[in-house]
Amino acid sequence: MTKPELTPIVERRDVPWRSWAGGLSSALSAVILGLVLRRFATAVPVALGVSVLTFWILNLLPGNAAWSLLGTDATAADAAQLEAKLGLDLPATERYLQWLRGLLSGDLGKSLASGRPVTNLIAERLAVTAELAGLAVLLATVCAVGMALLAARTPLADRVGAIVSMVGISLPNYVLAIVLVLGLAVHARILPSIGFVPIQESPWGNIKSLILPVSALAFPLFSICSRFLRGDLAEQMEREGYILTAKAKGVGPWSVLVRHALRNSLAGLVTIVGLNLGPLIGGAVVIEQIFALPGIGRLLLQAINIRDVVVVQGIVLVIALITVSATLCVDLLYLALDPRIGRGRR
Amino acid sequence: MAAADASSVAVAAGPRFHSVLSLARSSLDIVIPSATLMSIVFACFCLPALTSLPSPVAGRVLESNLPLFSPGHFLGTDLNGNDSLSRLVHGGRVSIQIAFAVNLIGLVLGGTVGALSGYLGRFVDALIMRVLDVFIAFPSLVLVLAVAQGGGGGIANTIWSLSLFSVPAFARVARAATLRIREQPFVDAAVLSGAGAGRIVFRHLVPNIAPQLIIFGLLGIGIVIVIEGGLSFLGFGVQAPQPSWGNMIAQGQQLFLSNPSLVLLPSGMLFLVVLSCNLLGDALRTRWNIA
Repeated sequence: MTKPELTPIVERRDVPWRSWAGGLSSALSAVILGLVLRRFATAVPVALGVSVLTFWILNLLPGNAAWSLLGTDATAADAAQLEAKLGLDLPATERYLQWLRGLLSGDLGKSLASGRPVTNLIAERLAVTAELAGLAVLLATVCAVGMALLAARTPLADRVGAIVSMVGISLPNYVLAIVLVLGLAVHARILPSIGFVPIQESPWGNIKSLILPVSALAFPLFSICSRFLRGDLAEQMEREGYILTAKAKGVGPWSVLVRHALRNSLAGLVTIVGLNLGPLIGGAVVIEQIFALPGIGRLLLQAINIRDVVVVQGIVLVIALITVSATLCVDLLYLALDPRIGRGRR
Repeated sequence: MAAADASSVAVAAGPRFHSVLSLARSSLDIVIPSATLMSIVFACFCLPALTSLPSPVAGRVLESNLPLFSPGHFLGTDLNGNDSLSRLVHGGRVSIQIAFAVNLIGLVLGGTVGALSGYLGRFVDALIMRVLDVFIAFPSLVLVLAVAQGGGGGIANTIWSLSLFSVPAFARVARAATLRIREQPFVDAAVLSGAGAGRIVFRHLVPNIAPQLIIFGLLGIGIVIVIEGGLSFLGFGVQAPQPSWGNMIAQGQQLFLSNPSLVLLPSGMLFLVVLSCNLLGDALRTRWNIA
């Protein structure tokens, strides 16, 4: 980009590195504000719909938390007493409206099983899930970028990468997790098989206890990302005029790849990651169960099993909000990576 | 289907004097995965009728945990003495039935909604897309778990709960494909000749978006088999003693060190089916030239 007369072709998203650093101008911040408002305007009906659906389904079934708590040999009188104590004898609509009123004042209610506030229960466990999912996304994207760059330069890496990502897309994460646990932890005894060490206790132990779960969660995402990135890079290197221009003015092969092609592909990569966040959180539920990690996924499974409606609803709401916020982050990142979007609206 | 047939005919007629062999060789990427899929489906649905496989649930504890290739139990037995081959085949039947049903529901309901939404546009489109966004953004497993548990497990409940997510997914694909087709001249011609919205959608749009939906359905079968396995693995889908690949993996974990085949066989089958679906989907996409 040092000789502007040599780069007349500005196609696709080929822009110099510096152009977006100072891009958060007033016009752009208006776009961002609009985006945030629009996302949250859609988030409210989404969250409401999801909570109504969950509540309705959990109330449709025979039995309730009182029966699950008392066990199989409870009498009807015992159950009725506990139902009255837990407030389960009220009509379903009334209970839902009660929950909704609490929600407006930031109170997610109390667990039917333990009596503890749901906000505390979730807050205790959210950090574990966040660490697991965050590390998985980081690992997957970093490895995918490395893999795709290697594949674009060497045919052998391309072949291997294609096979690895096809395997990764087809391998369910619970199968991968079991094979990893049984192979590396139980058989070879290299890593701890299950359990979680908080980072305050021992940072190294924390990392060791998360290596297997994070790998199992990250592998499918890595496969999807590297597959996309490989295809996108190859297409640009073959078709785009600015790649030819860059090559013609003597930019080195790695530099063309990283500074011109990769930079354009990153916006697409961010979108792909965003689309796969829902499945990632679903995968975290399974992974937490296999590795006995105390995250919200395990809490959710326990709550569903004992029909603890209040806890289930709280978790579903929190997950829905996390997904919406994550989608928002993706949109904002996209804006930073592709300045044309913000400029077009000026 | 019309477009699908037309393009496959065009491809087949390309080399004028071809033998069956050369055609097969040139399309190995389609032949191999479809042959794998067909033989697995054949094994799961016909093997119990053709051979005298023992029942998948009638094992005796005396015969529990037999190794591979034991007399009378070709793939050994599990913790309860049930024949592993029989369980593998019956479990596969359940998985394939569920995956097929879920994708069929998605294809018919979601395809129709998506095509109508894309064709009608404006207010209807905006409304439908907002509803679909909710489902797409939501972590599907969470709601599926609640629904499946709510119904108490079982095949029918698993199918309905998974359909909550196949319908919106198909609708999105159908809508995107419809938007691309809608601008073509033959749609204008149909409008000018006085055809109604229903006729245009079902006679002109649906045949053109069918190849894309079929490919999506193939990938969807893989996805549904994985999710169903996960549900059964967690104990929320198909309930033991009825076999499914997911709950077989979960059960086999207990005996992994003494008999790893109890985990590896259902895992391998699951992997093989999903891999074949993905490979076939990819190959058809290339063949039909769909982005």
